[in-house]
Amino acid sequence: MTARARWAATVVFASLLGGALLAPGGNADAPKTAPRLPELQAPYPLPPLPPQSPRNANYTIEARLDPATQTIDGSLVLEWRNLGDVPIETFPFHLYWNAFRNNLSSTARGDGTRAARFKSDRDYGFMKIKRIVLLGEPEVDLTRGLRFLAPDDQNGADRTIGGVTAPRAIPPGATARFRIEWTARIPYGALGRAGWIHDYYFVVQWFPKIGVFRKDRWNAHQFHSQGEFFSDYGNYDVTLTLPQGFVVGATGTSEPARNNPDGTQTVRFRQDDVHDFAWTASRRFLERRSRFEEAGYAPVDIRLLLQPEHEHLAERYLRATEVALRSYGTWAAPYPYGHITVVDPAWFSASGGMEYPTLFTGGTHVQAPIELQSPETVTVHEAGHQFWYGLVGTNEFEEAWLDEGLNDYAEAKALELFYGPMGLGRRYFGGKESRGRQRGWPVVAPGVSIGRGEQSLSDLRRLGERDPMVRNSWEFENADVYTLNAYRKPALVYQTLEGLVGDETMTRILRTWSHRYQFEHPTTRDFIATVNEVTGQDWTWFFDETFYSSGLCDYAVVVQEEPRRRATGYVDGPPGDRNTPTPAITMAKGMPDDGLTETTVTVRRLGAVRMPVEIVVELADGRVVRESWDGRDRWARFRYDGPKVQRVSVDPDHKLAIDVDPSNNTWRREEGLARQAAWKWSARFLFWLQNLLELHTVLG
Amino acid sequence: MKRALSAGLGAAWRCRALVAFLWAANLAMSALLAVPLATVLERDLREKESAAQMARGFDYPWWSRWSDQQKGWTAAFKPDILGVGFAFRNTELLLNGRLPVGAFATGGKEMAPPDIDVDGVILGLGAAYMLLQVFFSGGILGALRGPRSSLTARGFAHGCGFYFGRMLRVAGVALLLDGAWFWLNAPLAAWANRIAQDAVSETTALAWSYGRHAFLLAGLLAIHGLAGYARAILVLEDRKSALLAFVSALGFCVRRFGAAAGQYLAIAALSLLALGSWTLVDGAVPVTGWATQLLAFALMQAFVLARVGLRLALLGGQLELYRGGR
Ligand SMILES: [Zn+2]
Repeated sequence: MTARARWAATVVFASLLGGALLAPGGNADAPKTAPRLPELQAPYPLPPLPPQSPRNANYTIEARLDPATQTIDGSLVLEWRNLGDVPIETFPFHLYWNAFRNNLSSTARGDGTRAARFKSDRDYGFMKIKRIVLLGEPEVDLTRGLRFLAPDDQNGADRTIGGVTAPRAIPPGATARFRIEWTARIPYGALGRAGWIHDYYFVVQWFPKIGVFRKDRWNAHQFHSQGEFFSDYGNYDVTLTLPQGFVVGATGTSEPARNNPDGTQTVRFRQDDVHDFAWTASRRFLERRSRFEEAGYAPVDIRLLLQPEHEHLAERYLRATEVALRSYGTWAAPYPYGHITVVDPAWFSASGGMEYPTLFTGGTHVQAPIELQSPETVTVHEAGHQFWYGLVGTNEFEEAWLDEGLNDYAEAKALELFYGPMGLGRRYFGGKESRGRQRGWPVVAPGVSIGRGEQSLSDLRRLGERDPMVRNSWEFENADVYTLNAYRKPALVYQTLEGLVGDETMTRILRTWSHRYQFEHPTTRDFIATVNEVTGQDWTWFFDETFYSSGLCDYAVVVQEEPRRRATGYVDGPPGDRNTPTPAITMAKGMPDDGLTETTVTVRRLGAVRMPVEIVVELADGRVVRESWDGRDRWARFRYDGPKVQRVSVDPDHKLAIDVDPSNNTWRREEGLARQAAWKWSARFLFWLQNLLELHTVLG
Repeated sequence: MKRALSAGLGAAWRCRALVAFLWAANLAMSALLAVPLATVLERDLREKESAAQMARGFDYPWWSRWSDQQKGWTAAFKPDILGVGFAFRNTELLLNGRLPVGAFATGGKEMAPPDIDVDGVILGLGAAYMLLQVFFSGGILGALRGPRSSLTARGFAHGCGFYFGRMLRVAGVALLLDGAWFWLNAPLAAWANRIAQDAVSETTALAWSYGRHAFLLAGLLAIHGLAGYARAILVLEDRKSALLAFVSALGFCVRRFGAAAGQYLAIAALSLLALGSWTLVDGAVPVTGWATQLLAFALMQAFVLARVGLRLALLGGQLELYRGGR
């Protein structure tokens, strides 16, 4: 390179660089939303919160973990009260780990990433009831009468529900006491929510747990790969013995551990008014603590048990937990327990992203760019479950949209309020984790952000018509359809409801729901009744179109325009002689264009779902016309005579979050922007392709 | 090594007309799909509010809907390729054996990243480009080795034609070696993947995963380096056998390992530097109108030009190194 050429090259590069750096940076279209939460003190009366739960399923458990054999031996005393209307003598118990007993279980036969696909011996796990006794006078050993039930799919090989029959019926209001001794082999933790990975133990759904009895029937479902859990509230007193050196986290709070002479430690956790108990232990946990304190809220001690490689993400975990406590606390009712444990699962464990009373699991990546909102998304979601699942105990087996769906809705709302829209990224060269998700080097697409709910529309378009939303979890066509109907679609439906009733009313609905049904098992009907009560209107039609429908919602607009017609033929005569047809003087052709048009705006309903829609039409003279349509027919037509129509927007305020194609909701007079955008993005595609082609030269 | 590096860069500069020609060929071939894409995008954005949003920024809901409807090669327009993403995406395609024409795709679905497959039209275009570059390579070598005045269109065309058979055989041998390397690497990758899955810490797991990809890439680049010397040998010594040229190239690279590897790595480092500078500058230019669009386009083309230039600089340096070190 000659000196002159070098100089010239430097100048060119420097000017390019300088020009670029001086150009206005950042995306001017991304407004940072200031978090706006409703006041904690509601300006309207709300149902009173109950002082405590019904406490009809109280467990006292003693268990011992043996890491050498990967087993747990336990014994428990269950004090159970009949809250039904009839006497009962048969009792079903969940034995969840039997889902991992062999490849014939219903979970092993299921679909999706939660279906147990065994690869080696360590993947199997089981639970065996050694002895089950009905306490009292007289004490009756029921062990020999233990039978396995498969009410959902009649799978004779499934062992996830064991039933016993007592010789005496337990009348309504009366209490039965059972003592159960059991042993369990812990499965490897890459398949299910529970399991071990190296020295990380995540022990959940781990003790024989009684079903829920209401009115005249048991609600006790098998364990499926699609769907979650359901149980009654009570007080838990759990004493765990395991080797010293393990850091233990669990539902509830504990006294300091007691060291035993045999090298083990014993730690006792207690928690009142919860419907499950989970615990975890690992030698690798780092422990971080913070305290959530905010005017009007009860303070909450947050305990984070973290993988050492995620130490740099501790603050983000803690802050996201606080975001959930604050936002859900005002949308529902403040978190009452005073403490919460956040567990960051071990590498390759499938225990991440799960909720348990006063304890939940997150999950994140070592490389965690803030735009991708991990661990924030999962943390807000699982912390949020404390409110919907934990405090309002809906049936996850049968009505997942009441906890997962509501929670997905609120999670997205909280994230948008506190973190802004999510970025879009992809991970490279890292392989896959336990449930098939991609790990690796994160690359965030610059300038691309995803608004609340927008990520779910593609799945809704693709799978929305497969099943109605209201359905038992395990009865959806497959795992993807379950996920859509348990999480994504209901979240969009609630967002749409929020759009239609307004944010304030939506908050009032959720507050009423969360106050009235704290420590209860409400159903979809109760939810609809709450909506009707709070709004003072009948919203049954809305739920028929969404919850109970497998239809899609899609409104679209088509605009046709033609020059304003001028009369040919004969027109009215002059005043006084109007009745006489008079030849029109003007001819359609050859007249100068006065710029006036006749415009027809046709709004079409392309989907089966019917929603009321608003239409905003902007005219060339600056007028803005707002139309509304009940959206029930297949189409509606609006005509504008005179100034040209510049823009049309169906659902201009984006109330209909379930509209599967928002981009066909608008019409805009074409002024070259389509061409500009097309070339802009084709240039990027061109650049990618140029580099891809050039990369081929590395091979040949 | 330093001498070879500067000689290579000098040769590339001397042959800047050739660099420009190769860049133009690259641009023209890529435009075969990019221009139709522009037509499709314009048609699908017409009279939509999304057009305004796509002109200013990126309209995710519009793209998501549009993307769901794409059946063929247009589906390759994804946000993944924006910013520095194009380099990651392309390297991922390379390391998963999707180039050329999916020839080296090994292993089951279990290890493959999500939506790794690219439409056949794009892969076919890539193969055509590869063939074209093989054809050009004789002319390129002739130009690079010759004196300053020797670069004429006629000379170039003659070089292309004269050496085409040999260059084709070199490419064939290189592809066979690449295939063998992918084949040998597959069980190794599966083994490393299992170790990663069983690791105690995510950091260890990532190290194994990145490591196995880096190892695969290193092998491919080594073969690429060898192929360069094999080409140089065929032209400099007027030999015919591509296979023997590879053997000689291997012998040379073993003897002059430091210099050969150093020159290759220096060019690789310059490529990364170019990528880094481009990313930095591109990130600072928000495209909001025609003017900024043009600037962004110029920057992108400057990067491609630099890339082509560095390819020639590598080959020029290899020629120089071999000439000087026989
Ligand atoms: Zn959830």
